[in-house]
Amino acid sequence: MSFNSTKCLLLFLCLLNFYTSFAGGVKGKVLDRQTGEPLAGATVQISSGSFQRTTSVNLDGTYTFKNIPEGSYRLTVKYVGYSATEEFTVSVADGDKFSTRNVDLKEEGKELEQVQITSTGKEGDHNARGLEKNSAVLQNILSQKAIELLPDVTVANALQRVPGVVIQRSSSGEGRYAIIRGMDERYNNTLVNGVKIPSPDAKYRYVPMDLFPSDMLERLEVIKSLTPAMEADAVGGTMNLVMKTAPQHFVFNINAATGISTLFTSSRPFSAFSHSAVNDKSPAEINGNSYTATQKDFSTGNLNFTGKSQPWNTMAGTTIGGRLLHDKLGIIFSGSYQNFYRGSNSDFLVPNAQPQVVGNQDNQSVISDLYVRRYSTQTTRVGLHNNIDYVFNNKNKISLYNMYIHMNEFQTRSTYDSVYLNKLSDNLMRSRLQKQSIYSSTLIGDHTLSNQFKVNWKGTYAIAKSAVPDMAEYDYQSGSTPGTYIVQDLSRIWQHNTDKDIAGYLDLLYTPSIAGQKVEFSLGGMYRNKSRDNYYNDYSLSPVLTGGQPQQWKDYNDATYSFSPAGNGAGSITTANPNTYSSHENVAAGYGQFKFALTPKLEVLGGLRIEHTRQHFTTVMPESFAGRYGSVEYTDPLPSLHFKYALNDKQNIRLSYFRSIVRPDFYEIIPTENVGEIFNIKGNDSLRHSKADNIDLRYELYPGGSDQLLLGVFYKNIKDPIEYAIVRNGGPSAQFLMPENFGNAHNYGLEAVYTKFFGPFGISANYTYTKSRITTTKQFAYKDPTLGITSKIVDQSRPLQGQADHIGNLSLLYKNPRIGLDLQLAFVYTGKRIIQVSPYYNLDYWQLGQGVLDFSFEKRFLKHFYFYGKLNNLTNAPAKTVIYQAPPAGSAFPDQSYSDKTVVGKEIYGLNLLGGFRYKF
Amino acid sequence: MKKLISSALGLLPALVLLLTGCKKWDEKLDIAQAVVQVAQPISDAAPLCGAIKGTMLAGKTYTIGCDVTINPGDTLFIQPGAHVNVTNKSGIFVQGSLISLGTKTAPIWITVDSLLKLKNDAPNQDPSKDPAFSGGWAGIYCAPTCPMLILKWTHVEFGGAGLSISQGALVNQSAGQAYSILFQNPKGIFVMEDSWLYGGVDDPIRISNGKICFIRSTFEKAGAKGGDCLNCKGGTVGDMAYNLFVGVATNGQKASNKGQPVGAPQTNINMWNNTFVSCGYRQIQTGRGANIDIEEGARGKAYNNLMVNCKFGLRIVNNPAADTANTRYGYNYEYGDSLSVVNQIYPTNAALSGGWTNPQLTDIPDYTTFLPANYTYGETYDGTPILQKNNPQFYNFPLPVPNHVPLYGIQAVGGYDFRLQAGSPAIGKGYTGLTPLGAVPIDPKYGVTEMTPPGIDIGAFQSNGTGNQHHP
Repeated sequence: MSFNSTKCLLLFLCLLNFYTSFAGGVKGKVLDRQTGEPLAGATVQISSGSFQRTTSVNLDGTYTFKNIPEGSYRLTVKYVGYSATEEFTVSVADGDKFSTRNVDLKEEGKELEQVQITSTGKEGDHNARGLEKNSAVLQNILSQKAIELLPDVTVANALQRVPGVVIQRSSSGEGRYAIIRGMDERYNNTLVNGVKIPSPDAKYRYVPMDLFPSDMLERLEVIKSLTPAMEADAVGGTMNLVMKTAPQHFVFNINAATGISTLFTSSRPFSAFSHSAVNDKSPAEINGNSYTATQKDFSTGNLNFTGKSQPWNTMAGTTIGGRLLHDKLGIIFSGSYQNFYRGSNSDFLVPNAQPQVVGNQDNQSVISDLYVRRYSTQTTRVGLHNNIDYVFNNKNKISLYNMYIHMNEFQTRSTYDSVYLNKLSDNLMRSRLQKQSIYSSTLIGDHTLSNQFKVNWKGTYAIAKSAVPDMAEYDYQSGSTPGTYIVQDLSRIWQHNTDKDIAGYLDLLYTPSIAGQKVEFSLGGMYRNKSRDNYYNDYSLSPVLTGGQPQQWKDYNDATYSFSPAGNGAGSITTANPNTYSSHENVAAGYGQFKFALTPKLEVLGGLRIEHTRQHFTTVMPESFAGRYGSVEYTDPLPSLHFKYALNDKQNIRLSYFRSIVRPDFYEIIPTENVGEIFNIKGNDSLRHSKADNIDLRYELYPGGSDQLLLGVFYKNIKDPIEYAIVRNGGPSAQFLMPENFGNAHNYGLEAVYTKFFGPFGISANYTYTKSRITTTKQFAYKDPTLGITSKIVDQSRPLQGQADHIGNLSLLYKNPRIGLDLQLAFVYTGKRIIQVSPYYNLDYWQLGQGVLDFSFEKRFLKHFYFYGKLNNLTNAPAKTVIYQAPPAGSAFPDQSYSDKTVVGKEIYGLNLLGGFRYKF
Repeated sequence: MKKLISSALGLLPALVLLLTGCKKWDEKLDIAQAVVQVAQPISDAAPLCGAIKGTMLAGKTYTIGCDVTINPGDTLFIQPGAHVNVTNKSGIFVQGSLISLGTKTAPIWITVDSLLKLKNDAPNQDPSKDPAFSGGWAGIYCAPTCPMLILKWTHVEFGGAGLSISQGALVNQSAGQAYSILFQNPKGIFVMEDSWLYGGVDDPIRISNGKICFIRSTFEKAGAKGGDCLNCKGGTVGDMAYNLFVGVATNGQKASNKGQPVGAPQTNINMWNNTFVSCGYRQIQTGRGANIDIEEGARGKAYNNLMVNCKFGLRIVNNPAADTANTRYGYNYEYGDSLSVVNQIYPTNAALSGGWTNPQLTDIPDYTTFLPANYTYGETYDGTPILQKNNPQFYNFPLPVPNHVPLYGIQAVGGYDFRLQAGSPAIGKGYTGLTPLGAVPIDPKYGVTEMTPPGIDIGAFQSNGTGNQHHP
């Protein structure tokens, strides 16, 4: 292997403002010659005879040697990924002052001319800033180094550090989905290395971002304006996960960590169940749909729970990579493993399904139940990826990228459900295993045909899978004699789905000189065939009457159940579910794009993309069912235009316009009915896709280093947004929640990002203000003189679900490369927002504003060894959900601290503490 | 909508009656009836399958071989004495109208012959083996388009087989649903008069909404392990009177405003002169199983009802609360063989009932003889003073129930006779001032034939011979 550092680099080093002086000696700055970014962490050494001193470069690029005896010294600078500089001679004179000597370094000829390899040093923040600055589109980037130092271990959690991003948490407090600029999951898409990946989600297109361990990434891009060359189904933004690529020099990293969640104690243990007892297949899958199941077909092991008082979390990862065959073959392999025990304790006041008229007050939500829930979730993630590239010559390169991620989530949910105002309580225990995986393989070719012609192509095969085998829940209810319990229903559900993409991409790049100007024309296209299969099988058993009487509860293993009627155990009934369907989608897209400098300072990029979509679905519904299969087809012209005006080297003003779309989710256009919590949810076969016009204006200042100041405003007009509302359809009494198009929604806002380093200290802050508006129909209960209590449909305007007016991040950083210490205190604030839209007027569920404080550190203690720690959720502040209705007077409702709103939900996750070692070569 | 209009046109005579007919029950009408031709006599030569309409003829026996539908706008008439044997767990799916007009001397049967032979009405049958609860056929499922379901002198038995997906698709229901009768049109009319319902699995009769009248009918072994016999949801208005309920799983008559369609009226049911015996024992949930239950925004009136050995007394639910401000009750009569019964004639919090029933001065027995002063609903009390007191003295039903039969073992009428003997303390104690709601027209074919007003005797059987006619 040849990992000769002098060959590997393409960067030039620049030593600027070279000061020398007596006794305080030498100071200066070390900058990247190409980008002008400070090379924090670079090693600077001065020596003279046996005298030798070494220091590291600070975050702002400065270094200092103090108290250096008078004399002449040799000075060298070393930095990973850069060639060693030539040696300089500096003199330290007598006297207590610094003398100045400027050295301008111009090293040349170290770049491998024939190999088109992008920048090394790509894992750093300064590189990310450079990409943001030079990009034709608006984006925010988290670099590998930044991600490594974050308190987060999944991509979902890392996303909350990106300006304008809010994360939706799962029941264990882990981030799962990203809301970008107030636009929820539906409005954003996920790419891996620029290629769309399918989602394992059972219902939706969007990808759960907690699948990805963050240590697989080279960088995380959140792209907020789209070019014609990009997939057009993003309104909030595109999340592009750029995975590690083969490095120029040999890299070997390994890390391992362990930790705990403070939620679990001997009095609140982690609740586990037998993993091997979970049957992968349902009775109907094993025996066919004509088989009638009985209780003996169901395993008991996954409904017997054991407590673990303090389980240990573990995490390990490794990356190995480099170049072979005279640097022609690049290989990187990365593996990541995480096994975490997390959970939450939550209290929910559950409003009755429909509002009541209470006294003279219309449309009052009345609390019917109190749920006290304990989640215990063991999450096991495995991430593997490799990237192989082969450089034939300086004109042709191919690469193959493979990724496999797998997540198992073993979750126990205990629910104590007491009927409000009564003493009646149900005790429910549920075990749930969800297996999710994504495999994706992409072959990429880059060919330079001539000075003016380039061709890129990509072929992708990707498959996402999810399975929830045998989600099982039993229930026992307090009997009328205290201390006795009565057996209640038992439910077992099998569900699985796959989503498979086969796609090809072709981009042609033609760069002629027109009137002395280089103009970049690109022409390209994409075709993707997607097929999705969903399977759902739902068993509902009830206790056998023993001696004609309700059955007393001893434990689950003692309870006897049957189907009522017995025939309801047949696969023909249990699989007859609207959640079982298959869907195909073909998307063909073509685009033409140009990019040129209108004036030396004004760059213009624009063009037109056309996307054609054809979606087809088939259900298990019978012939008598209208809409048992169907297809929908549409074509969208999607223009975009982007201006970037460089005020000077460090400042840009950008103005962009693009049009994008959002496709309905697969099941949303299937007119079958799914059982929902309040109302059944029915698909809508006349649902249209949403179209959005997006305008952005942004000012950017990159004063150097990792510093930046970004100020931007945006406006989005979304036509035919898809929202759920109550509709009456199919008959006077048939009432559903249905996805519908609702006119226009507006969303505008302001973004500010500020990052500044002062020597070893840094501050990084961002703030986003968002305001959105949509009007949908809601149901309103009132008293009518003749009908009595009844209801009507009224319009209500509100923010989009998930949109918080105010979101912000504040991070304090300390970075001392000399002693190898990094500290980061990160605070995220998410303002109040609707987390669940209610079908009823004024009864949406709002999550109150919440701050989360995390801390992370990394300390080098041997040459290649680091100790690191990540401490999450330090304040352990509960997440609170409210409805805007005064709490009922005089009742013993817990946790009511407001007069204008009722706290209906409170969740606590505990602190997560993690510590480990990292070896970097 | 067009189909609805055409179906309405098809039923023009009925509509005329509906519009011109009696909104108030007590107006006596004398309007010439439209002469209805016997449309399309249905042949009994082969098992019926698929779409049917026309008339099932008197005295004939029909076999339903697979699911039958009555399409929107179509009507199926059944003449007196017709016998319908449903096989292959099929059902009758009514998108149009079903009008079954039996008579006292020639009632109609819609049943499963193979189960009919196995019927065993001796007390204390094991519910897990009793064919009554086995779901022999799907049942009568009305779609939201169904304007009219009329059952007079008709037996409906052994329904409640879980719907297959294709059955469910005919009537907007999901697979596995196990009612015996479903009605779901808030503007439609559902009359069950002088009829019988036997067996069932889930709610034997689910009224999602509609204008209803259940009168002088008998319900036995209704519901396997839970299920309310007449379960009315949001948007149901009408009357329930002179019905007899024996061994119902949960409640005999339930009114709830849950799931009320937009613009539909509040659920409002007047319930008078019903008799309930041994109801509520097959409900697996604690605290449930009354004879009459009013909950979740519903209102109604309950008078002159006779409740014997039921798990709970009249239950007015506190959460989700009934529209108590507009709910009235009184003159209800309770009898209990055991302390577990008499201690819950006013459902208590201790029994986790969620009941909110205020004792009324007109109640029998007189609550002042056993409730503490300042009693508030839900409190525990000692019912010993009324244990086995006020025996209503049925013609033929031993009270107390002999020791070898548990209270929950009384499941069907069998040879019992629930008429009151002369000298019964229930005679002459009723309240006759209640006005029925009269949500359906009075009509021998397209409404209720006879709307019997509240009677002076408590319960379904009047000593003057009016009320429920199902007795030996």
